[in-house]
Amino acid sequence: MSENNQANKPNDDNVLLRVENLSQHFGDLKAVDNISFDIKKGEVFGLVGESGCGKTTTGRSIIKLYNITSGSIYFKGKRIGAGTLSYKNAIKDAKKKFKEDIDALNNGNDPEKNEKAAKLKEDLKHFIAEQKKQIASAKYDNSHVDKDLITQIQMIFQDPIASLDPRMTVREIISEGLVIKGVKDKKEIDEKVYQVLETVGLVREHAGRYPHEFSGGQRQRIGVARSVIMRPELIIADEPVSALDVSIQAQVINLLNDLRHDLGITILFVAHDLSVVKYFSDRIGVMYFGKMVELADSDELFRHPLHPYTRSLLSAIPLPDPDYEKNRKRLTYVPLRDHDYSVEQPTFREVAHNHFVLCSDSEEAKYKEIIGG
Amino acid sequence: MANKLEVRNLRISFRTVSGKLQAVRDISFDLKDGETLAIVGESGSGKSVTSKAILGILAGNAIIDGGEIIYDGRDLLKIPEDEFYKIRGDKIAMIFQDPLSSLNPIMRIGKQLTEAMILKGKARQKSCRKAFNDYLALLEKAMIRSVAKNDPAKAKSISEKCRNFNTFEITHLKLETAYNNATNNANEAIAEIENALFLIEKNAFKDDKNIIKNICDLSLGTINDFVVKEDAEHLHGLVSDLKKSVSVAAKTKNYDDMTSYLKGIDAILKKALEKEMPNFFSMGYYNTFSGEALPSLPVPELNKFLRKYLDDNYMLEFIDGVKIALKDSAEEHLVKKEQVVKELNASLPVYSGDEYVRSEIDALTDKLVKIVHESIDPMEINKDSAAHTFESSLRSAIAVYFNGEKRNVIETKRYDRQKASYDKKAAKAGGELSWKVTPAAIVDLQLAKENICKIITRLCEHYEEQIAQKDQRNYDDEAVAVIDYLKFNASGFANKVTRRMAKLRALKLMEEVGIPEPRKRYKQYPFEFSGGMRQRIVIAIALAANPDILICDEPTTALDVTIQAQILELINKLKKERNLSIIFITHDLGVVANMADKIAVMYAGKIVEYGTSRDVFYSPAHPYTWALLSSMPDLDTNEKLEAIPGTPPNMIYPPVGDAFAERNKFALKIDFEKQPPMFRISDTHSAATWLLHPDAPHVDPPKIVTERIARSKKNAGGANNE
Repeated sequence: MSENNQANKPNDDNVLLRVENLSQHFGDLKAVDNISFDIKKGEVFGLVGESGCGKTTTGRSIIKLYNITSGSIYFKGKRIGAGTLSYKNAIKDAKKKFKEDIDALNNGNDPEKNEKAAKLKEDLKHFIAEQKKQIASAKYDNSHVDKDLITQIQMIFQDPIASLDPRMTVREIISEGLVIKGVKDKKEIDEKVYQVLETVGLVREHAGRYPHEFSGGQRQRIGVARSVIMRPELIIADEPVSALDVSIQAQVINLLNDLRHDLGITILFVAHDLSVVKYFSDRIGVMYFGKMVELADSDELFRHPLHPYTRSLLSAIPLPDPDYEKNRKRLTYVPLRDHDYSVEQPTFREVAHNHFVLCSDSEEAKYKEIIGG
Repeated sequence: MANKLEVRNLRISFRTVSGKLQAVRDISFDLKDGETLAIVGESGSGKSVTSKAILGILAGNAIIDGGEIIYDGRDLLKIPEDEFYKIRGDKIAMIFQDPLSSLNPIMRIGKQLTEAMILKGKARQKSCRKAFNDYLALLEKAMIRSVAKNDPAKAKSISEKCRNFNTFEITHLKLETAYNNATNNANEAIAEIENALFLIEKNAFKDDKNIIKNICDLSLGTINDFVVKEDAEHLHGLVSDLKKSVSVAAKTKNYDDMTSYLKGIDAILKKALEKEMPNFFSMGYYNTFSGEALPSLPVPELNKFLRKYLDDNYMLEFIDGVKIALKDSAEEHLVKKEQVVKELNASLPVYSGDEYVRSEIDALTDKLVKIVHESIDPMEINKDSAAHTFESSLRSAIAVYFNGEKRNVIETKRYDRQKASYDKKAAKAGGELSWKVTPAAIVDLQLAKENICKIITRLCEHYEEQIAQKDQRNYDDEAVAVIDYLKFNASGFANKVTRRMAKLRALKLMEEVGIPEPRKRYKQYPFEFSGGMRQRIVIAIALAANPDILICDEPTTALDVTIQAQILELINKLKKERNLSIIFITHDLGVVANMADKIAVMYAGKIVEYGTSRDVFYSPAHPYTWALLSSMPDLDTNEKLEAIPGTPPNMIYPPVGDAFAERNKFALKIDFEKQPPMFRISDTHSAATWLLHPDAPHVDPPKIVTERIARSKKNAGGANNE
């Protein structure tokens, strides 16, 4: 098969990463369940939610640390990850429907019974062949990813202590990616390491030291340097500041902000601290138990939080203001109380321009009213 | 409000491979009754070390260089380890940062909750027995002495009274324990009945004999001393009917009879629970000494009757005796205290004198300590902390002086020697060398002297206050307090904590901290709980011994925003319900706005700003507080964050001047040369920065801080107008 066989989406210039119906199941646990979003070039996309809601899993699925269960991930218009479960389910459903239809035919007295049955069978065969082709294509895409393309996505991990090998020097840690990629020239590597160290606010002398000689903030800078040296277009920052002190947090956030402006890097920012996410992100997606419940521009989300879960999250943010805090009323989110999904299941829809919410018909009407008013 | 805990001039350092690391450098604060004190600072600022010192769990390489932590008349830094057993966890409890690592993964939650209760129960029994016996003996002696002065014939009757008190107190407690057990049984039975009725109603009752058997056992367990006689017979009948109805209902699937029996039992138990509680104290006396059966009266009249019997025969006289004894003892010791004040004042010139002579000082100290010790009234129930800690504080302050005198000479010599060699080498190399000479660690002898004098004047003032207020003392109240104290200790040694009782208490606690279905959760392991639930368990364990002071060491740092808000609300709720004093340690200023009454901002082992929560958030004065406030974004922040450049200093070589000067963009020249003292801004607010000195230039806080304060003030104003 040639390159042309890769399923490519018509490339929207602005979209760097597109996630379509991504699901990531671990056995029975649906860690991520059918979420879709785009990340535009040069923006910071924030992903928030409580622990266990699947935000880290989403990040790791994008960078292909897991084989995704279902859905597709497109980076720069090329499919870099694909799952097969949805196709398999489609085949299963089609077979079931076929059986029901045949049973209905056999019980009835249709004179053209045999012809119709033959046609149904033909259709099913066709459909299955189609799906199998899709599965093959997904499997192919999943395992034949352009190495250069995928190195343009890099990750910064949460724990600056655990994510650095204590037995490697900073130079080895930072240059490991280059070495793996096949760069052999020692001088070139050193030059690049020094350059990137300076970019993240460290000095040349640090290259020869070991991680334990650095403070928490400096270690996180090393983590950033390691990802920046590969000249990535997209950085997935998985809670890069939650393990740090407040004063050091600001240093790292400022650093990421500078990188974004100077190098034009796009960032997927995963965090649970809403104040930080609000400050840093252009758009924010809110996740709850594996589902994306709301997605909007960051100002819009904080001005008009629509989904009850988003509201409860916003009401829980502590602020450095004692008078406000004394009167703060925290909202709680109880899915069974807040939604009535007995009639229809909710879907993810756009209720206002660029403002998506997971809701049912009646809720959509309600939300539109809130925004309109 | 009284001070629960006082920390004075605490200094702690750690022995490390590369030198002595000064973690806490001279901090002082008070924790008042029912108040939350937040200690805020970066990691390494010494906040956790302080809390660990309070709990007596410092690492092995820690050295306590000086200071006092005073709780309940004792200096926690100087009491022996087996004394500390009674305080740690019992009076002062701690919630740790990481709920994952502070629970034992291979022990069921229930066991972890009850473990401490059962262990502590045994220790408490012992200590209460000792306190009770000691105090009663003391009281007997004092009473005999005071009463016999006027009426020698009464001496015998008094010692008999004291012995009697001992006997009937035990009877009282047995009665009360039986009653409490019955109440618990009734409560449990009612819960089970509710459950069974619910199941029957939903047609989900699986003919489970165990439920019914349990209900029967629990109901029968309530009959002694709890349910009135007529009801008791009725209850017996209902229970046996219920037992019979089980097999019938299983065959016919008709639960009507069973339901009516259950409802009958339920009604009787509820009625009994609503009944007034008899006065067991006086009942204990009646049962022991009257030799007659209890008259069958309704509870309120019974209580009156018992009370009168006790008062007439025993209590009034006993309280009178206690009162006289207390008064005599207090007056006698007041005279001694006056003497002590005189002696202390006389000794002041010696201690503030220029030259200390070791033998002279030692002799004087011994003498002072002796008379102060004699002046302590042993009849006091609430220990007088100033007098009790006098010896240990004075001796350690004097030791600091003499050690300093010796060390200073050695240090100066060392410094001179190394400086000379450095200068020589520097001259050879032409210019500065890459290493520096460690400056001499000189103990300020003048300061040490002042500290010694301070300890003496503090006790002086304290005693003078007591002498001035001697007419206002109410010995009636004090006598009653003595009886309560005896009752409390007696209950401590008579109440054995059994596994069953511990379980009931644990279940109640779990409910209190908001864990749904405690009975089911009780049997689970920590891994079956989510992060927030685990932290709740940790809080429940900390509360198990009903502590006075709760230390929360970053209790929400490992948790999500929503869970964090829940846990903070829970801590606030428990504080109100149990009147806890809380020390809340965190690096996140945002968290404490909701929690703290007072805030201490720590940097490099020192408190740099101290004030009420409004002081610190609305008029912060120290540049470090400004930096902390401006480095965290809130929801309206758009401008670039003002990160604090650099990292905290290495505390093996603490800087000469203000430790924050290196990272402070408002630093003055003097900041690098001399440490700023605490400047008072208002009665509640003080900060250690030279910017507050009258001669300092006027500096405004960063824009990001002033704007935020203006915004929140505006919001508050808007809210008021609405």
